[in-house]
Amino acid sequence: MYELARKALGMAKKAGAEEAEIYYAANHSTGVNFKKDALENTKDRFSEGIGIRAIVNGAVGFASTNSARDLENAVEIAVAEARIRENDPDWVGLPSNGKYPTVSGIFDKKVEALELEECINYAMALVEGTKETPGTLPTSGGFNRARSRRLILNTNGIEIEEESTAVSGFVDVITVNGHTSTAYDFAVSRSLDIDFYALGKSASELALKSNGGIKIEPQKTDVIFHPFAFSDIIEEALAPSLDADNVQKGRSGLKDKVEEELAIPELSIYDDGLIEAGIETSASDDEGVPSQRTTVVEKGVLKTYLYDSYTAGKAGVKSTGNGSRASYISPPSVGLRNFIIDYPMTDVIADTESGIFVNAIIGAHTANSISGDFSVEARNAFTIKDGTLDKPVKSLMISGNAFELLKHITGAGFDVRKVGGIITPSIRVSDMSVIG
Amino acid sequence: MTGIMQDIKFYDCRVIEGSSTSIVLDNGKIEEISRNFSRGAGIRALCVGSWGYTAVEGEIDLKKGVEAASKLAFSMNANTPKEDVELAAINSPEIKNLPEIRIDPRDVAIEEKVDLLKGIGASAKVEGVHSTKVMYLESEFKIEYRSSDGIECAYELLNVGFAVSAVASENGLYQAGRESRFGYGYELFEKENVLELATTAGNTAVALLKAKTPKGGEMPVLLDQELAGVFAHEAVGHASEADLVLEGDSILENKIGEQIASPLITIIDDPTLHEFGYYPFDAEGSQSKRTEIIRDGVLNSYLHSRETAAKLGGTPGNCRAQGYSMPVVRMSNTFIDNGNAKFEEMLEEVRDGMYLIGSRGGQVNTGEGIFQFNAEKGYLIRNGELTELVRDVSLSGKTLEILNHVSLVGNDLKMTAGRCGKAGQLVPVSDGSPHLAISKALVGGA
Repeated sequence: MYELARKALGMAKKAGAEEAEIYYAANHSTGVNFKKDALENTKDRFSEGIGIRAIVNGAVGFASTNSARDLENAVEIAVAEARIRENDPDWVGLPSNGKYPTVSGIFDKKVEALELEECINYAMALVEGTKETPGTLPTSGGFNRARSRRLILNTNGIEIEEESTAVSGFVDVITVNGHTSTAYDFAVSRSLDIDFYALGKSASELALKSNGGIKIEPQKTDVIFHPFAFSDIIEEALAPSLDADNVQKGRSGLKDKVEEELAIPELSIYDDGLIEAGIETSASDDEGVPSQRTTVVEKGVLKTYLYDSYTAGKAGVKSTGNGSRASYISPPSVGLRNFIIDYPMTDVIADTESGIFVNAIIGAHTANSISGDFSVEARNAFTIKDGTLDKPVKSLMISGNAFELLKHITGAGFDVRKVGGIITPSIRVSDMSVIG
Repeated sequence: MTGIMQDIKFYDCRVIEGSSTSIVLDNGKIEEISRNFSRGAGIRALCVGSWGYTAVEGEIDLKKGVEAASKLAFSMNANTPKEDVELAAINSPEIKNLPEIRIDPRDVAIEEKVDLLKGIGASAKVEGVHSTKVMYLESEFKIEYRSSDGIECAYELLNVGFAVSAVASENGLYQAGRESRFGYGYELFEKENVLELATTAGNTAVALLKAKTPKGGEMPVLLDQELAGVFAHEAVGHASEADLVLEGDSILENKIGEQIASPLITIIDDPTLHEFGYYPFDAEGSQSKRTEIIRDGVLNSYLHSRETAAKLGGTPGNCRAQGYSMPVVRMSNTFIDNGNAKFEEMLEEVRDGMYLIGSRGGQVNTGEGIFQFNAEKGYLIRNGELTELVRDVSLSGKTLEILNHVSLVGNDLKMTAGRCGKAGQLVPVSDGSPHLAISKALVGGA
């Protein structure tokens, strides 16, 4: 398919496209997975395909395929779809003038060269790590490595090709005696710098510590969200309102709020496609716009929404490099890059007299993405007493509002973690409503 | 290679070819028309106790694919040998009872589809609604299955459906209403009154603006068919998936034959129904069949693949995959069977509590048997009567406690189509239930 990308651009012009874009993506991944403490399977996956955007009279058509013999058909359908649609007055044009920054740390030759035996060893390290803490068993998990290649071409002269690698480990554990409790841990990186053994160990320790949870009274209290928990809330309840598309369509709780105070002044938030070795780092976004660092919240004040080239054209601003695609099957839409939560760090648990520490949450995807309201179940929660984690809490519901929450942040830990693209420390929020 | 193949005791291939169309209409304007054409295959090979899996997109050389998967299985077994995996024996499936399609959506012009969506969008835009979104999805695919056991079978299926959402806002407050229907054949749009559904979505969004957020706490509740269906699927169905049971990640482990629920409760998984989770055979070529997970409150059966059926004893038929992914144990059409209570009777039973309606999704921890679901909306029940509308309400608790606290089961079973995620794969499913009265549950609110 790679060899056909340039040809496809020509086909689109020939079929009558005034502007056209070819998005080629290939991915090769190898995963070694275990169930309980035994390796269960190895998966090798090759995925490769082309997505075509064709523009006729300010209207866009899109088609995609992974089959060389369907490519010409797909290109023609993309053009035909564009012809069906009415002119879109908000369409400005495909990106042009790509001058790209240099990014580093996103491709590691060693990841690409890993032999199956080594992949198996990393998966086994996850399992071995869980065994260091007696009384727990892994339930499932695995090691994965991937190598991706992406080529974007358009009729405005954009041509950008990038290669990247990724490795990840995931482990879910359960206690074997007494009350049942579970925990998980995971990590993802561009290179082989993950300590898989430590990952298994930390999941096991957390499951064990969570055993024999107590019931607590409904109350308003300080809650410290671990990066896993906080990033879930950010992604599901805050990020959708920063998406310029939602703002323009009246589906954002942050509409008309630029330059307003959104959060306490100690908080800043950056969206950054350039950081070294970031999971969302690349020279360009998924439509060929150069990546950049965008200040989203500066000292508590909302500075901008996030734009892809279409929403930027509609608003008369520059794209922030947030054109994003899940795969070659979808046209671009606004998505987060590396999303960095910045708040002065302290030993936040030690500074907390009483409250709740929450490691993970379930149900964040049920949040109201417009109003920011959420109601989630806490996992691996602990009471905090005199600056230390005290007792595990069996069952706990936390409800609140993402925008209100930003105004009530009172602390952050030193434990910054890359949860996929979201980079955040543990965050303490006052006056959260919890029901035990 | 010959050396390796001697140790491969089983392999199978699924070749899938298909195309899909999606149209997105936003505020009456076409936002996206996209088509996709795809072909690919997923190939499994088993060496003693290790599985190798290869997925390939594009042009497929099956022989090479089988060799690649076999090599993975072989080297894994060489590195970390495991106990032999047995597979429950199956016969070639009978392909029967495929959903009949009266109007092939591919025969309907795209302009007509766009007009239909515009009508739906306009119907959702009732007074107070300021934005609407309508999505149309159509997909057709052909699956060919063959295995080293000599099973060869194939079928084609065509899905269509739509989803509409409406957003109303007032004083910086936003509320949404959603409706969707999925099925087989374009006649879906004749059978269902889609314009009325769209208006319902719009009205819900507007009504929720005025709704209060109630105080949470423990109380008796009445669940509507959709929310009770989500409970059946998420809390009970997932825990009955035999792979999770074998992993030690299910609250239902070692409970077959035990009374785990109120005797009023029967929960069934049935892929032969022409609901959204229909299939004639699963991703291992096993004939689809109805399974009673819980019968009269007694845990009766888990859901099985060939591997889990051989390990735990049971019948395969619930192994499914999204596209070229490796098949895992999944549900199909999962529902709580009808009881005989009338709605009014159930209100009277709950007396003072909450009526929870619809679902904005939920999650469950199958190992600990705890869950959390957010309702779309609710009504307070006072003195056995529905009173004011409430929003931002959720239901959480322990699966087994809720199953035992069911005090009445309605007679108005209704199914809802959706997509279920597990192991990073989405598959079409449906779930449903009649209304359920529950004597005690934890409701989350303000």
